[in-house]
Amino acid sequence: MNSIEIKNLSLNFGDVKVLKDLNLSVEKGEFLVLLGASGCGKSTLLNCIAGLLDITDGQIFINNQNVTWYEPSERGIGMVFQSYALYPQMSVEGNLSFSLKNAKLSKEEINTRVKNASEILQIEDLLKRKPAALSGGQRQRVAIGRALVRDVEVFLFDEPLSNLDAKLRTELRVEIKRLHHKLKNTMIYVTHDQIEAMTLANRIAIMRDGLILQLDNPKTIYNFPVNKYVAEFIGSPSMNFIEGRLDGTNFEFDELSFNLEGYSFKEKIKANSQVWLGVRPENIVINEADKTMPVNCDVVVEVVEPMGADTLVWSSLNGKELRFTVEGNKIVNIGDKLNVGFDPAHVSIFDFETEDRL
Amino acid sequence: MFKKAQLERLFVSLVMLAFVSLAISIIGIKPDIFQKLQFLFLTVAIIFVTLIWAQSKTIQFNSNRLRKQIFGWLLSSIFSILIWSFAQKDIQSIFPSLKGYRKALNTLEPIAIYLAIVFILFALILSIVGARDSRLDRPGYIERTLVYNLSSKIAAIPMMLTSVGIFIIATLWTVYHSFTNSRMLPKSEFIGLAQYERLWSSDRWYMSIENLAIYGACSLVFSLFIGFLLAALLDQKTRFENTFRTIFLYPFALSFIVTGLVWQWILNPEYGVEKIVRSLGFESFVFNPLYNTDIVIYGILAAGLWQGTGFIMCLMLAGLRGIDQEIWKAAKIDGIPMWKTYIQVVIPMMRPIFITTLVIIAAGIIKVYDLVVAQTSGGPGISSEVPAKYVYDYMFSAQNLGQGFAASTMMLVSVLIVLIPFAYLQFGRRKYD
Repeated sequence: MNSIEIKNLSLNFGDVKVLKDLNLSVEKGEFLVLLGASGCGKSTLLNCIAGLLDITDGQIFINNQNVTWYEPSERGIGMVFQSYALYPQMSVEGNLSFSLKNAKLSKEEINTRVKNASEILQIEDLLKRKPAALSGGQRQRVAIGRALVRDVEVFLFDEPLSNLDAKLRTELRVEIKRLHHKLKNTMIYVTHDQIEAMTLANRIAIMRDGLILQLDNPKTIYNFPVNKYVAEFIGSPSMNFIEGRLDGTNFEFDELSFNLEGYSFKEKIKANSQVWLGVRPENIVINEADKTMPVNCDVVVEVVEPMGADTLVWSSLNGKELRFTVEGNKIVNIGDKLNVGFDPAHVSIFDFETEDRL
Repeated sequence: MFKKAQLERLFVSLVMLAFVSLAISIIGIKPDIFQKLQFLFLTVAIIFVTLIWAQSKTIQFNSNRLRKQIFGWLLSSIFSILIWSFAQKDIQSIFPSLKGYRKALNTLEPIAIYLAIVFILFALILSIVGARDSRLDRPGYIERTLVYNLSSKIAAIPMMLTSVGIFIIATLWTVYHSFTNSRMLPKSEFIGLAQYERLWSSDRWYMSIENLAIYGACSLVFSLFIGFLLAALLDQKTRFENTFRTIFLYPFALSFIVTGLVWQWILNPEYGVEKIVRSLGFESFVFNPLYNTDIVIYGILAAGLWQGTGFIMCLMLAGLRGIDQEIWKAAKIDGIPMWKTYIQVVIPMMRPIFITTLVIIAAGIIKVYDLVVAQTSGGPGISSEVPAKYVYDYMFSAQNLGQGFAASTMMLVSVLIVLIPFAYLQFGRRKYD
């Protein structure tokens, strides 16, 4: 059963087309993350679902009900904002109960709901405080609580963790995941942080210029990106790209040539076509692996960036930049000659012109 | 004995006291006593300088900047001495061209002497104790007071003089003379509270107070209400917002005199609204608020509102623009109706803007004068008098300074009665952002 269904949604601001004929369906209880660079339309899409923006064309269904022209409050959604958007002159309790009071719920009902929400979010001690007297993490908890008390089917998160510092972000991320596990509500989460997307999502929708490029589970998106943009956007450090020619299963560039037997092509390719070869830094192994890996060559280390758990090494392959990670306890020095290799099963090949996966 | 730092502080405060007594003696309050006091302070200050010198003994010139400062002070003192010498008869007989400026030089002479003393003193102090504190290797209190950030201190002097001179001394002077029987010129003949008794038994003053109350209450309520309403309407992503804003703000570009004149014409029965309606055929139509003693103040109020509301709207609009858009979104999701969001969320968030606006409106109310003069000159009879006009008339037309001062003191007192608890409430407690 679909919790949210979007059919042919488009949105124009004057002549600017922000969302273009977008289709999306989200299952009940699913955690969907909309991921993309700024300006890709992900927040706009969320605002359309919430009813905060009037759409130009298309339909939105929530719980199999056409809500396209419903008021935001009638859609059965709760929303959490980046800037928390708490009502500053009300106490935490006032913030939580404001919408319920306005909906004329009974006092007992309001009290039980506020109590439940504050228990789930562990903010019982803060109920009498004003938002100004709370820390960023506490404020965001209250904001989530405000969505929680409304007892809604769908939760919308608009970059909720962007205003927090790195440590709090990690903590609250886990908490949101736990909350989802407990409540089993449908959640749509907008972010530009790929770590948040990878860790939280059941499915990720990668957006660019008002279009969804790829909608799949995180693993598939990471390992089988549909085009070069997605491959570049997901993963840190980002994927290495080598420009070359593909002749059968032979990848050639400059004097070097790799045999890519083992790579599963989506379709049959024309002989001798120009392609991008993409390899993730962590799929490149060094030295002792050279015998086992089908593809290998020699490189010189240029820059070393130790990051604790592993070390990022910058080198070059025939003048093209090549990044790869080695284990943190391995000692690599600038100027070292290394033999690197990778398995063709783990690479991605994209058409040079269309940048689509082959 | 004293510690060095304490001596320094005592010395600086003595010099400052000397300055104050000089200022008081120049104004003319007990000049004989304060002039003597000033010299007393300076003498004691010099004794303290010697004491400091006796304690520190060593003189250190570590910093170039300090030497430059001392040199600067000495140079300034030389200039002062030069000016003083130009005022002397002997010098003037040597340079006859100076005689033309004799009057100006004679006025400058005492100031020049005083400045010369002060500058030499500064140089002396700096050379004795302003050198680095040898133990801590940091500038002493005097060096910090006199030398640090000197340019900003010099830049602040005109504003300080203005605020002290205008706001404090002139106010005190006014209050002081409201207890005298000054007529055309101020004099110090005390008559107790007689001016106030006369003030409070005058019908004209009562009328002024009553008018101010009506004008003030209405103008406060209506300009806040209309201003906020217009701003809220403009904030709804209105088309041609800039045009509307300009139109609403346009009257603010006119002075009260012009506004008053325009509204006098509009409300005039011979060629204003009444004339137009009558020429449409309603022969018995009567609309002449400026000639009706009961409602004349509302005619003035209309002009005041027309002039000021646009500005209030702009302030409110700025406040509304400062509200995070996500608050609106959150309220929409929560299902709060728009009017309720305004009243329960947005207006409380705009508290600082409302306070600013309130102060601006209140100041406008208290000083309303030219609008009345342009529209009615206080008439018919005394039915549109306001306190500011009362003060002006008594001070400059009736040549009764004492009475004018008493009225302005009453205005000051009433403003303070409102302002002090308000300021205490506003600034005296902890603020949430």
